[in-house]
Amino acid sequence: MKNVLHWNPPENLQGVEVTYTVQYFIYGQKRWLNKPECKNISRTYCDLSDETSDYEHQYYAKVKAIWETNCSKWTETGRFYPFLETQIGPPEIALTTDEKSISIVLTAPDKWKSNPEDCTISMRQIYSNLKYNVSIYNIKSKRMWSQCVTNHTLVLSWLEPKTLYCVQVESFVPGPLRPAQPSQKQCISTLEDPTSALK
Amino acid sequence: EFRFGPCRVEGVALPGLWEAFRTVKDAVQVQDNNTSIRLLRCEVLQNVSDSESCHLVHDLLKFYLNTVFKHYYPKIAESNTQPSFSTLANNFVFIVSKLQSSQAGEMPPDKDRARRRFLLFKRAFKQLEIQAALTKAFGEVDILLTWMGKFYQL
Amino acid sequence: DGGEALPAPQNLSVHSANMKHLLMWSPVVLPRETVYYSVEYQGEYESLYTSHIWIPSKWCSPIEDAECDVSDDITATVPYNLRVRAILGSQTSAWSILEQPFNRNSTILTPPGMEVSRNGFHLVIELEDLGPQFEFLVVYWRRELDTKEHAKVLRRGGIPVHLETMEPGAPYCVKAQAQVKAIGRNSAFSQAECVEVQGEALPL
Repeated sequence: MKNVLHWNPPENLQGVEVTYTVQYFIYGQKRWLNKPECKNISRTYCDLSDETSDYEHQYYAKVKAIWETNCSKWTETGRFYPFLETQIGPPEIALTTDEKSISIVLTAPDKWKSNPEDCTISMRQIYSNLKYNVSIYNIKSKRMWSQCVTNHTLVLSWLEPKTLYCVQVESFVPGPLRPAQPSQKQCISTLEDPTSALK
Repeated sequence: EFRFGPCRVEGVALPGLWEAFRTVKDAVQVQDNNTSIRLLRCEVLQNVSDSESCHLVHDLLKFYLNTVFKHYYPKIAESNTQPSFSTLANNFVFIVSKLQSSQAGEMPPDKDRARRRFLLFKRAFKQLEIQAALTKAFGEVDILLTWMGKFYQL
Repeated sequence: DGGEALPAPQNLSVHSANMKHLLMWSPVVLPRETVYYSVEYQGEYESLYTSHIWIPSKWCSPIEDAECDVSDDITATVPYNLRVRAILGSQTSAWSILEQPFNRNSTILTPPGMEVSRNGFHLVIELEDLGPQFEFLVVYWRRELDTKEHAKVLRRGGIPVHLETMEPGAPYCVKAQAQVKAIGRNSAFSQAECVEVQGEALPL
C-alpha cells in the first residue's frame, strides 16, 4: 500500500527550471485536494500513501508543470484502486533447525506507513485470504518442491542431516493477477546427526 | 465457489472475470466524467450480512444484465472488446441462474434491507443521464467484483 | 449473407476433453483451391439479450483447418451457439450452426498424468499441467499398516509438490483425480503408484 505517483518531465524544457504541483481526488467525492508536500516541487514523484490509505476507495491524481511564468495543463491518472492494484510483498521468514527438520515461521508484510508512530496493520488483516507459496530447495540433491500454505508456520521433518536447504516464499491473494514478489532465498543447514558421529 | 449466505454458486472462475474486466477497465473508466458520483458507494455494499448478500447480488446482477450490459453493448461493439464483455455477461447470466434456484428460505427482513441497498444504487443510477449512468455503472464492475470476492471461497 | 455458390461446411460437432473444446466440421473441398473458414460464437447472454450478435472466435477468424479450438471463447458454464462458414477469396458460404448449443460442463475429464518420486524421506508428486482451471485431489496412504487415506488439494500441476515425510520400511501409494471448479466436476482417479524408503539406511 505504498502508493507513489511518478511522472516524466515535459519533453521540450531541458535546461529550464521546472517545478510541479500535485492534487488528488477520491472517486465519488466532490473536490480535488492538495498535497502540500508536493506543491512547487522539482522532483518527479510524490508519495500519496497517506492520502490513499483507505484501500476500499478509488483515487485519481493529477500533476502540472510550472516554469518561468507558464504552467502546463493538468495530466491526470486513470482510476487507481489500491485494494486491487497494490503489490503484496513477501513475508518475513524465520528458520530454525535441528538434525532432521526445519521450522519455518512466516510473518505477513505490514501495510506501509509513512509515520513510524502510526499503528501497524498487517496485510493479513486487509486480505484475510492471504496465502503463501513456499519453495524448498535441497542444495545437495538439487531438487525442489513447493507447498501452498495458509497459516504462518510450517515444519519440514525427516530432512537429511548436515544438508543445506534454501527457502523462498511468495505471498499471493486469490483475485486479479498481481506481479509476484518472491522473497530472497534464505538458507540453513540441518545439524549433524550425533548418532552418525558415534559410528 | 461463491457463498452468499444460503446461496451457493459453484462454476465461476473469479480470476477470469477479473482478467476480462481488466482489459476494458481503462477504456470505460476514462469515459466517466462524473467522478464525483459513485453508484456502488459504501451505503450500498458495506457491512452486508451474509443473509442479505444473496438478495443484493441477485438484484445487482439482474440490473447489470437487463439494463447496464444490454444498453451499453453498442459501445462495446465499437471498441472490439466483445470477448471480454461476453465473458462478464455470460458469467453473470450463470450466477443469476444459480442464485434463482437456491434462494430458499427467504427471510423478509433481509430481503427488505437488501432491497433498500439496491434502491440506493438504482436511484443514483436514475439521477444521471442514461449514457453517463451506463458508462459509470460499467466502470464500477471492479467495485462489484471486489465485493463479490469477499464471498468467494477458493 | 454470402454467395450461395460456395457450399457451407457440414457435420459440425464439438469434441471436448479436459476443458479443451474443439469444433470440427467436414472440409469444403474444391479442386486446386484453398478454402478458409471463419468461426463465430454466441453465449447465452448474447442469445437472450442481443441475439443478432455473434463474436468472431479468437483463433479462427479465419482459419485453414477444418477444426477450431474454441476453448478461449467458451469462458462461462452456459450454453454457447457456434457457427462456421467457408471463405474463398471474396466469396463466403452460408453459415452452418452447431445443431445443439455446447456447454463446457459436458467436457470429458480424464485422470491426470502423474510422477511419484521420493527425495530422501520425502514423498513428492508432480502432476500433469492441464491449465489454470484444474486443481487436483491427491490421495495417499501407507500400504502395510491401516489403510487410512490422507488427502491434499493441489492448486496446479507442472511442479513437484511435497506430500508426506515417509517412514522407512513401508511402501507409500498415491492416486490423483482432476477437479474443475468452473464446471463443478471431477475426473476418475488415476492408477495408484507406490514408492518405498528402504529399511534404516541413511537418507541419500
